[in-house]
Formats: sequence, C-alpha cells, structure tokens
Amino acid sequence: FGLSLPAVAVLLVALLCLDPHGRVGSAPICAHGPSGCHIPSLADLFDRVIQHSARMHSLSNDLHSEFEQYFLPSKNHIGKIYRKCHTSNILTPNGKDNAQKLAREELTEVILKLLMAWRDPLFQLHQSMAHQQDFNSFSSNKALEMGDMAHELRKGVEKVAEKMRVLGMLGNSVTGLSAAEAMLPLSDSGEAMSDYELLYCFRRDSNKVQNYLKILKCRIVPEHDC
Amino acid sequence: MMLNSIMYSKWAQYMFIGVSAPGKPKLTSCRSPEKETFTCWWEPGEDGGLPTTYALYYHLENSETVYECPDYKTAGNNSCFFNKNDTSLWVNYNITVVATNALGKNISEPVEVDVAYIVQPNTPENVTAVVVDEDQGPFVRVSWEKPRTADTRSGWITLLYQLRVKQQKDKEWEEYNAGMQKYYNVFSLHPDTEFMVQVRCKPDHGFWSEWTQTTYIKMPDYIPRQRSLWIIITIFSVFIVLILTWTLNVKRNSVKLCLLPPVPGPKIKGFDKQLLKSGKTEEVFNSLVIQGFPPTIDYDDLLVEYLEVYDNEEQELVLDGKDLSEDCIKSKSPSDCDSGRGSCDSRTLLLEKCMVGRKGSGSDQHQYSQHGETSWASTESSECQGLEPGSPESSDGRVKTWPVVFSSPQPHHHYQAETVKPVYHSVPEILNHSSPHIMPTNYHHLHHQDIPQQEGRHGKPACRHSQSYNHFNLDGLNTPAPGVSPSRSLEYVEVQRVNPENMLLLRPLSDPNREPEGSDYAGEDYSKVKEVTSNNILLLRRDTSHHCVDDYSQASQCTTQQPPHPCKPVIYQSNSGMPQEGMRVMGNGYVDSTVLMPSY
Repeated sequence: FGLSLPAVAVLLVALLCLDPHGRVGSAPICAHGPSGCHIPSLADLFDRVIQHSARMHSLSNDLHSEFEQYFLPSKNHIGKIYRKCHTSNILTPNGKDNAQKLAREELTEVILKLLMAWRDPLFQLHQSMAHQQDFNSFSSNKALEMGDMAHELRKGVEKVAEKMRVLGMLGNSVTGLSAAEAMLPLSDSGEAMSDYELLYCFRRDSNKVQNYLKILKCRIVPEHDC
Repeated sequence: MMLNSIMYSKWAQYMFIGVSAPGKPKLTSCRSPEKETFTCWWEPGEDGGLPTTYALYYHLENSETVYECPDYKTAGNNSCFFNKNDTSLWVNYNITVVATNALGKNISEPVEVDVAYIVQPNTPENVTAVVVDEDQGPFVRVSWEKPRTADTRSGWITLLYQLRVKQQKDKEWEEYNAGMQKYYNVFSLHPDTEFMVQVRCKPDHGFWSEWTQTTYIKMPDYIPRQRSLWIIITIFSVFIVLILTWTLNVKRNSVKLCLLPPVPGPKIKGFDKQLLKSGKTEEVFNSLVIQGFPPTIDYDDLLVEYLEVYDNEEQELVLDGKDLSEDCIKSKSPSDCDSGRGSCDSRTLLLEKCMVGRKGSGSDQHQYSQHGETSWASTESSECQGLEPGSPESSDGRVKTWPVVFSSPQPHHHYQAETVKPVYHSVPEILNHSSPHIMPTNYHHLHHQDIPQQEGRHGKPACRHSQSYNHFNLDGLNTPAPGVSPSRSLEYVEVQRVNPENMLLLRPLSDPNREPEGSDYAGEDYSKVKEVTSNNILLLRRDTSHHCVDDYSQASQCTTQQPPHPCKPVIYQSNSGMPQEGMRVMGNGYVDSTVLMPSY
C-alpha cells in the first residue's frame, strides 16, 4: 500500500473536517474588502484596457491587410469608393488638440459610443465571413475574436468609467453612456456595407479607440508610460 | 487669322526646339513625424524643356472641396507641408500633383493618405553610451531621448525604441529592442575594443525612424575577475585533495601492493629458504636431489645381453648393442676349436665367432668395442681376426673373448680376465641358477667344422656358440617354462657352471638329467634353437626330433627355417641348404645362441 502515514493522517483530518451539511456556494473573490484580495487600481485598469484595445486593433489591421491583399489588387485605392462608415455620425476628435480639448467624460463617452456602435456590425462581419467560401477559417476566427474583443473592451471601458466616477474624476454629465445605442451598419444609401468596407471602417475606429484611451490614461493617471 | 498664325508659329517654334508638355509627376511619399502634421513629396516628370510648375491639390474623403497645398516651401522642393490645422487624422486625403508648363500640364496619379498610418517619427536624440563598471564586469549603458517632435507625454503617440551595436570591423549589427524605455544595458562586449551604437524608434503603428548618428564607445581593458568562481573552485579542489589523501592513507597497504608488487619468491619444491639462510648449502641442495636420477644403469649388466649375429653375406661385425638386427655371426677362432677352451669362453665365444670367418673384414673389427678387438686373435684357419693377442686366451691364438656383441656403450672390458659373472650382466642371471658348465668340446667341434666349411661365412660360426646358450633370458629373471614343446615354446636354460675357461655350461632347465658334465655330448645338454623371437628370445628346441634348427639366424632376425635335415648331434652337415643369415647352426643343429643376445 503506497500511502505513507502522513498522507493517511491528512486524509483522515480532511474527512473529519468535511461538513456533511455544508453547501457549496460561490462567493465573490473580493467580498471582504481590500484586505481580502488585490483590487486593481485605475492605472492597472487602464493598462489592461489599453492592451486590449491594442490587441483588437492589430487584429483588425491584419484582417484588413489580408482583405486588401487577396481581394483588392489595386493598392492605390483607385476606384475605391468608400461609403461613409456608419460611425461617421459620431463626432470624434480628429487631432491631438481636439482630443485634448475634450473632457474626459466626453472622451470616455466617445469611446463607449464607438465600441457600442460596433457590437452588431462585428457580429455580422463574422457571420458573413464564416459563410463565405473565400475566407479561410483563420480569418473568420479572427473576425470572431475581434468581435469578442470589442465586446470585452467595451465592458472594460465601462468599468473604468465606473471606477472614475467612483473616484470622482468623472462628472455627472456622462450622458453618452446611456445614449450609446447600437447602430446598424447602414450607409447613407441604406445598403449594407461590404465586408471590406466594414473592415476598413473598423480598423480606423479601433485605432481611434486606442488613441483615445491612451490620452485618457495619460491625462488621468500619468505614469511612466506617458 | 493673325492669332492663329501667331499660335501656329509659336507651336512651330516649340516644335523645332523640342519642348513639350511636362511629364507626369508622381507622389513618392507622405510622412507625418508626430501624427500632427505631414508632408508629401513628389517627383517631377520630364519638364518638357520648359519651366514647369507643380501644384498639389487634395480633397478629403466624402468631400468635393479641393484644396491646394498650403505650404510648398517648408519641406523643400517638390514637397507639400500640411500643418496642424490642415491635418486631420482618420480621414483620407486624396492628393494629386499637377505639373504645368507652357505647353500643358500633367496630373499625377491620386494618392489616398490616412495620416494616422503614415507616421514616421524623427530619430531619437542625445544618444549616449557609458561604460559602467560592476563586479561582474563592465558593460555599456546606452541612453537616449525621444525625438523632440513626438508627443509621447500626452499619450498621443507611443514610441518603441531599438538600438544596434557593432565593432568597427564587424559586418553585421547586433540589434536590441528596448521597448518604450529610453536606455539599454549592453553586456558581453569584448574588452579593449571600440563599439558603434545607433538607435531608432517607431510608433506602435507606423514606420521606423532613421538611425541616429553613430555613437562610439570604447570598452576598457579588463580581466574578468570571477572571484567567487575561483574561490569555489579552490575550496572544492582542496577538499578533493584532502579526501584523496585520507583515502590513500587508509588504503596505503593496498596502494603499496599495487605500486610495488612483491617479488615472487622462489618456488622450487623442496627448497627450504630457512636452510638457505642458515648457510648450509649442502643440505639445501641435497633436498633437491632426486634419488635415482639420472637413472644409472649398470652397463655391465647390459653387456651380456647383447648379441651379435653375423650375416654370412655381410662381414660387418656390429658391436653396437643396438644392432641386433645386424647379421653377425661371430665365429670363433678356429684355432682353439678342439681344445674346448676359449670357444666356450664367455669372453671369447662370441667374439671369436664374430671375428672368425670374416674375410678380411678386419676393418670391421674395430666396430667391436675395445673388448672385441682385443679378444680376437687370428688363427690360421680362423677367420676371426684381429683378436688381441693380449688376451690370455688368445695366447693360443684363439679368440677367447666374446665377440663384442656386447657393444654396450660402456667400454668393453676384457672379459678374458674376468669371470663370466661380472662380465656379462645377463649371464649372472643365468648363472644364478646353477653353476655353469660349458662344454667346450662342442664348440671346438663346431668351430672347427664351421670354419672350413664356411669360408664365406663370417662370423656365422659365432652363432653356433649360441648353442651353449639355450636360451638367454634377456629380460632377466624369466622363469623357465618346463615342458615347452620343442617347436614353438620357449625353453629356458640354465647355466650349469662356468668352467675355468669362462665357459658357460648350460643345460635346459627342464632337462631331468641335470648334472654337470663335461661331456661334450651335446645331445642332452644342448638344445637347438628354433628361432629367435622378436624380443630376443631364443626359442630352443629339444633335440628329440633330430631336427636341425635353422642355420643361421640373426640376433633379432633370425628366421626360422625348417630344419631340413636330420641332425646328427655331432656333425654338422651344414651347407645343405642353410645358407643364410642368422644364427650359425652347428652341425647338430644347435645354434650358437650367444649371438642372439640382444644388444642394447
């Protein structure tokens, strides 16, 4: 019998300590306050969110490059007629000065609006890529992951906003949060956008998000990275 | 009309000169160093020989408003600089360049530009490299600053840095990624060499900047002082040495055994070292002596056993004891055949027989060992020659010594002077039985008869002497077998006596009429030799059937021949059909068995 004496003793103790009437339940990890576990700071939250957005943007960049390489040989973008991105309605700062002029609440709101606006179109994009034979499974998986990331990022930014609000950094004028609504990726003409157009638009928007988050972070928690 | 002609003339004028409208310009690149402004450069086409002007026009996406480049100067020739106010991110710019000269214009291909993706920062600044000395050894710490224009502080732009190092002589650079930090420690550089360092940067999405100017740094000449390692090695080796010493000390006996193996001592059986040490060498070596080695043979004993048988054809007297096979019939000197002396002399018997009858084979006589020669004496009728007159018996002219059949290795003695007993070793065995008595008369008789008849026979008569030996028990002490059939059995004889003339008188052991008699009647006392077996045993036959034994038989090869003729005990008719080697058969068929003695 291979068990040694200490192992047997441990087993006995464990058996004795088992509460036959105990219920198994779940408890929040940090239920007992800061002493219980480590609560991430705002800086940590921002770092996580920024990393997330960077990852998302790289995915969109890859997908767009693949699309452009295999399906659109023209590299000079001649003949490309871009319809407006469905998110062009959202006013976004197009320069550093403009971005810095925005209040942090507005900036946060813009981020959230953007992310929210892309929730459904990304899902559609994945759907259409998966169904088409042209795309390999790897690209459709990327699209799927990208959609999930956008979702996660939105959640994260919401948490950051929540945190900031808690910390008193954000004012009450966060109307953007409630007003964020899903938008249908419809162009002006009402036609659905093609996959390429979606990818093109999303690449841009993810870059915006990343940039805005960085500005926000360096404005709120200026640390070594800024 | 006039205008047309002017225009035509102008055109013609240009035609002659070779000018044309400008070529198509081409936008080469647009770059933004800090994501706030950007610049576009174009490449002019052929100017067509005329001064050409270039203009850059752009419009934003989803807008038809065309704007012209606000600044052609800041960025140099054939460039257009867009300042902050004119730069919008995440918006596509559709830019074209138009070349215009007197003859026409040309429009470049449009280029779509999104400023956010054409960021190429300036090179990092203030690259410094410092040698830092530490315990592990010196290393180089390279530090730099961000390009001035890049605003990383607000987070607007994020730069990643990269540096590269090489020696002057190296071909390849060694690159290191420094991430977002503005310093880097370079280790493992060769001492006493100069290194070149360069740095560049890149935004998270954009292009790499140019490399900075080379910064030179010289590594000092140092010896890697890995002190701690040496200390550990020293302690470890000392420890090992101590352990080895202690082990050797413990096992010193085995080590000594291994290094200095013991010298093996003498291993001689019976050798006593203690005796040797005590100095009594005699005793030491005596113990080594094996008794009875080498085996000493009393050669005198062997002498008697030698037989020499003459071959009547051959005249050689083989005195060698080994040559039993040789035919040698020793004949006795005929001179004394009558006297009965000497012929049966044990000493002279064989020798006489051997020597007599030899035709001039005196040269062979020396084959006899000393003994034989001395004992031969030449007689007028005897063919035995060369007997030494010095022998007492030879004074008669007779050979009295045995032929040196007994050519034993030992020098032959003069048997003359000796009694039979000591001379012939084998004889004593026979003599033990009884006193020998030899009837010499037969010899004489035989001898005489032999000689004239056998001129050609040399030494054959000697074989006759063998009749005095009925049987030589050459092996020694064979017990006689009484009642042996005369034809094939062994018959043992015994020597009755030895007469003063050293003649053996034999008689068969089975002979009931055992009495010493000097009668020369050989009928009862003598037996015929039937044959000589291979082991040198004379097979004697009783003289009952009056069958003669074979005439001649050699000592060892005496062939048995039928006795064809009835033998009279006295007269040997000889020749009647027995001309062969081997034993000389006496007249009555008796064989001088003396020659049948084997020789050693």
